[in-house]
Amino acid sequence: MRRRLLILLASICALASTAAESPDSLRPYRPVVSAYTLAIGSAHICNTYLTPLHYTGLTGRLHYERMQAMAFNPERAVMQLDIDIEADRTRNPARNATMTGLELRFAWAMMRRHSIASVPGLSLYWGGYTELGGGALLLTRNGNNPAQAIGAWAIGATGAAVFNTTISRLPVTFRYQARMPLTGAFFSPDYGELYYEIYLGNRSGLVHAAWPGSYFRIDNLLTADLHLGNTVLRVGYTCDIFSSKCNNIVSRDISHSFVLGVATEWLSIGRSRGIDSHARIISAIY
Amino acid sequence: MKITLRTLLLSAAFPLLASCHHVEEWDGGMQGNFDALWTIVDEHYCFFDEKGIDWQETGKRYRARINPEEMKATDFFNLCGQMLNELCDGHVNLSSSFNTSYYRRWWSDYPQNFDERLIQQYYLEFDYAQAGPLSYKVLHDSIGYMRVSTMSGGIPEGALDVSLMSFADAGCNSIVIDVRDNGGGMMTTAERLVSRFFDGRILAGYISHKTGPGHNDFSEPYPFHYDTASGHVRWLRPVVLLTNRSTFSAANNFVSIMRLLPNVRIAGDTTGGGSGMPYSSELPCGWAVRMSACPVYDAEMRLTEHGVPPSDGCRIDLDPQLALQGTDTMLEFALDLAADWREWIEKK
Repeated sequence: MRRRLLILLASICALASTAAESPDSLRPYRPVVSAYTLAIGSAHICNTYLTPLHYTGLTGRLHYERMQAMAFNPERAVMQLDIDIEADRTRNPARNATMTGLELRFAWAMMRRHSIASVPGLSLYWGGYTELGGGALLLTRNGNNPAQAIGAWAIGATGAAVFNTTISRLPVTFRYQARMPLTGAFFSPDYGELYYEIYLGNRSGLVHAAWPGSYFRIDNLLTADLHLGNTVLRVGYTCDIFSSKCNNIVSRDISHSFVLGVATEWLSIGRSRGIDSHARIISAIY
Repeated sequence: MKITLRTLLLSAAFPLLASCHHVEEWDGGMQGNFDALWTIVDEHYCFFDEKGIDWQETGKRYRARINPEEMKATDFFNLCGQMLNELCDGHVNLSSSFNTSYYRRWWSDYPQNFDERLIQQYYLEFDYAQAGPLSYKVLHDSIGYMRVSTMSGGIPEGALDVSLMSFADAGCNSIVIDVRDNGGGMMTTAERLVSRFFDGRILAGYISHKTGPGHNDFSEPYPFHYDTASGHVRWLRPVVLLTNRSTFSAANNFVSIMRLLPNVRIAGDTTGGGSGMPYSSELPCGWAVRMSACPVYDAEMRLTEHGVPPSDGCRIDLDPQLALQGTDTMLEFALDLAADWREWIEKK
């Protein structure tokens, strides 16, 4: 009798153990996709506070991207964090004046993922994002209006299409992502207001509500991630179109850049927990 | 399907919204550059009404003189410069790689009544302290003399501390600040200097700016205040400010603020004006243009674009004959005024 009881307990424990190790019941691993890229290309800038002329030249951008499936719904929810630092150096049509731009941007997005069953490897993402950016445009030939500060906070929509495939046995991930602010707030001085007046204390009317009619921006990113062993080589193209109009000041910035960088996918594992080989791994994009 | 169509229409509408952000463009020829210059000035210059200028008529008159077939770049530049000179404003310039246009009549129509050598030789005796644009010395009759030659750079706080302290240590009851031929510079330098001559906080003036391209699109004048230079040496005793027609721009604003302090009198000639803060822009050919864009008013809401007059009974000119003998009649007048400070302080 005692022997039978021991066998029953052992069987229950074994069943329980089997149930616990089922991939569906285990907490999945959610690796982080980190990418560091450099984008270099052409910039076309106009800011009528500084000059009515269109400046053209070079733009360079360092970009960090972090994507991860969310714990609350790893199959469907994906988080994306972007940090950009962008520098422009452009010249006027006569090539005798230089405008320099520097901008830092942070963006955080939450997207819903939908795998297209009819096209294996294709997933669509859509969601919202918020972004905070700041910087300045400098045109040092100007006396009392040598700079235009850039500052904006926006909430917008983002969408992406990701296609995982293989080309000649090389796994490749294609992605197109677009982003567009829909509302928010941005900084602009008045039409002819000098920063000296702001320095004197007149800070009224500097922050304006943003909507696509006053603050239009669309950022397009097309990349191909080439999976070379444990590292991913990212190549791509980005096209950012920005146009704002406020207080009769029009500001434009259109850039086309070639993107090159590396991406990695990594997991953070606690020493005490170890790795459970039965748990599923849910990648943000791969 | 309806949702898809609506979405597509909405998507197409966004670029259209952005395309409403029109920026006027001009061609790079003489006509295009002239139109750009005329338009930039038309939309940003701030004293059309004060000066009674019909800019439409001016543009029409000068546009008719453009002849791209026969004009050289220098001829075209001179034509544009002549048009800008009709604004009668020392803050208006057109700059190219080969020339910069100036309106000079705000000072050239008046006598030159400052001679630096005269001061250095006969009053300072080539023995004075100097820090940046500041020169100073205690003169024989215990009156401090301070010369501020420009405001285009900063005046070191330490130099102001030491100069004012040296006047106090020498037992000076009053000082003369000579800003003749001071063409201005930075308003922050004027603020730094003014803040040494009052206690507490004062209304320094009002500033306005264009809110749109129309000639009358101006913001409500914004009152701005200056605080005393706390933690630094201040001079609250009598001050005579010596000015002439070449006291311009930030120096003109400095005088307009000092004029309203109870311990200050203005002696010499009316200042040159230039109370509009300049704004810069450029033409398609790369020439830079600068013009008055933000009017600055004094604390009594008076525009000082045409200058600040001396205090009552304090207008004085330089006698060229006496100057040859080593006497600056304007400085002599200022020194006498400073010596009689009790009389005018009591009157004020």
